[in-house]
Amino acid sequence: MYDVVDFILNTQLGLNSPDWVVMLISHLIVVAILFAIAPVQVLFLTYYERRAIARMQDRVGPNRVGYEGLLQPIADGVKMFTKEDIVPVSADQRVHLLAPIVTAAPVMYMFAVLPWGPNMIAVDLPTGLLFFFAISSISTVGLLMAGWASNNKFALLGAMRAVAQVVSYEIPALLSLLFAVMLTGSMSLMAIVEAQSGLFISTTDVPNIPDLGLGWFVFTPVGFLAFVCFFIAALAEGERTPFDIPEADSEIVAGYMTEYSGMKFALFYLAQYILNFLLCAITATIFFGGWQGPGIAWLVSQSLSADNPAGNPVYNVLAGMLGTFYLLAKTYAFFFVMVALRGAFPRLRIDQLMNFGWKFLIPLTMINILSAALWIAITRWGTAQGFGIIEFAGEPSNLVRWLIAFAVTLVINVAAYWFLARLNIQDHVARQAALAAGGLAVSPPRSA
Amino acid sequence: MDLVVQIMFGVTGLLILGAALMVVSVRNIIHAALWLIACFFGIAMLYLLLHAEFLAIVQVLLYIGAVAVLVLFAVMLTRQIDDPDEPVLFQRWRSTLLIAVLLFAAVLVPTIYTHDWQTFTDPQPTFAGPRELGFAFMNAYLLPFQIAAVLLLAALVGAIIIAMEDQEQRRVRVLTLAEEVALRREREPSPPARSAHPQPTSSSTTPPPVPPAHEQAGEGA
Repeated sequence: MYDVVDFILNTQLGLNSPDWVVMLISHLIVVAILFAIAPVQVLFLTYYERRAIARMQDRVGPNRVGYEGLLQPIADGVKMFTKEDIVPVSADQRVHLLAPIVTAAPVMYMFAVLPWGPNMIAVDLPTGLLFFFAISSISTVGLLMAGWASNNKFALLGAMRAVAQVVSYEIPALLSLLFAVMLTGSMSLMAIVEAQSGLFISTTDVPNIPDLGLGWFVFTPVGFLAFVCFFIAALAEGERTPFDIPEADSEIVAGYMTEYSGMKFALFYLAQYILNFLLCAITATIFFGGWQGPGIAWLVSQSLSADNPAGNPVYNVLAGMLGTFYLLAKTYAFFFVMVALRGAFPRLRIDQLMNFGWKFLIPLTMINILSAALWIAITRWGTAQGFGIIEFAGEPSNLVRWLIAFAVTLVINVAAYWFLARLNIQDHVARQAALAAGGLAVSPPRSA
Repeated sequence: MDLVVQIMFGVTGLLILGAALMVVSVRNIIHAALWLIACFFGIAMLYLLLHAEFLAIVQVLLYIGAVAVLVLFAVMLTRQIDDPDEPVLFQRWRSTLLIAVLLFAAVLVPTIYTHDWQTFTDPQPTFAGPRELGFAFMNAYLLPFQIAAVLLLAALVGAIIIAMEDQEQRRVRVLTLAEEVALRREREPSPPARSAHPQPTSSSTTPPPVPPAHEQAGEGA
């Protein structure tokens, strides 16, 4: 973007503007585009979810406004604008006003580090992955503010539940993403996507095969386990259905949003759907190659760049379009999984939620980090790094190394899953037995 | 560009100082906690100005996303959030202020003036990146790092012990409200009306408070 603005301002118009003006304008254009994209995504996702869930429940869903109800989200938006803004008299007025802003604003920041296509990223932060989750954790403060300022017990309960859930599922989410950081040696999301080019078997050593952009991390045992753990944790972070206890409408009205109406309510709604979209997008980016896919590498090689001045700029545009298409296709696929889970599963209880997170997901992700370390050692290290055991039968080829790593990590991960699942099931059976044996009744304190 | 950085530093410093002042001067504890979050934000901005981008992000993740949220969580469980009768300054604030200023003068001022500060005219972009911090933790500062880890583990174990203390029943599942009330009633065998007039001979008239039949259930868990 910088180059384009620089070309137009200084070369075409001859304005001779200083460096920072060009930078400011180019960043402002990108920001404006991203801010326009976010609400449009929300409009589409609400329609998509309502239609999909209706189909699953044998209903029709919204189909009146526009062709097949496509304009329904816009009608809903207009309705939101015309609603009266009600603030409870006993609410803490200023905090009540600030809460939706504090919730919605950080979610928009997360767009800054999301890579949309080759070289299509607003800011390629070296710590982009961490930035993404650090910013999203600010939203929790907004939820807590909303719950407390409403001066309503349902709102407070909802906020407490939301915070307990989000704080405890942030740990498995971040731990499961560590494997990608270890494998690529970088926290930049662009670097993570670029590391997933080629073929998933072995990135360099199968000759005469073009770069298909299919070296996705999910095709390795390490990546697959991390993907499953991360997606479950993402469901909890986005308050999607098996984990939607913060706004369980049959128990506590609407949770922290109970006392909000009109555009303030819409802001919460917006923040939640953008967060869900971004969580799906980040899942696609880290585990499913983001904008990588067949054809991208060829388009990039034909396009105009510093290395390839003879390229045609049309291919730049085409590569960007195809990359964005791949990313959005993967993102919507994950969002569909979220909707399907909503249609299929009942809500968890709070103690089940905590047990699952702390006793199952976190140990599993810890073991997965061990597998990731082994994967790196087997595929990359030799005698120089103190891993001479790999060369017991001469220098192995990369394909052989890859096969050994695959087998070893597969065994470790399956064993870990089996062992932890067994432990948790035994625990559950013991609880049920205790309940059946009269554990319902109240036992006295032991010291008495 | 230098002037821009200076202005940003000034604004950030004012934000931090103002927010910190508000933390100790507002009456409402929740508002104080929210101002504390603003203060943390200012510190993250200071890190950014120092090109310590990783530290800034970690500051946001840990201090705002975890510590401040826990503080808010704990404060919301306290009873007196806003008490107009409670004075903001307590009685001996003058002597406290004096001691604080003296300590500051005795410890920090000599350090500030005698320390050999390294000034970077052109700060390296990878001055405090994750890679550099990781190397520092695993090489030069390994012992402090390990000690901090052991300290955190001790705190964790302590918290679990406090939470698990005489909660044998709750480990099986979350109790319903009625069961919680029954548990509490059983723990204090005499109702509050009678406990106001404790009689040494009443133990012969009331039934033994602990039925032993439930012991097995507790151990079965």
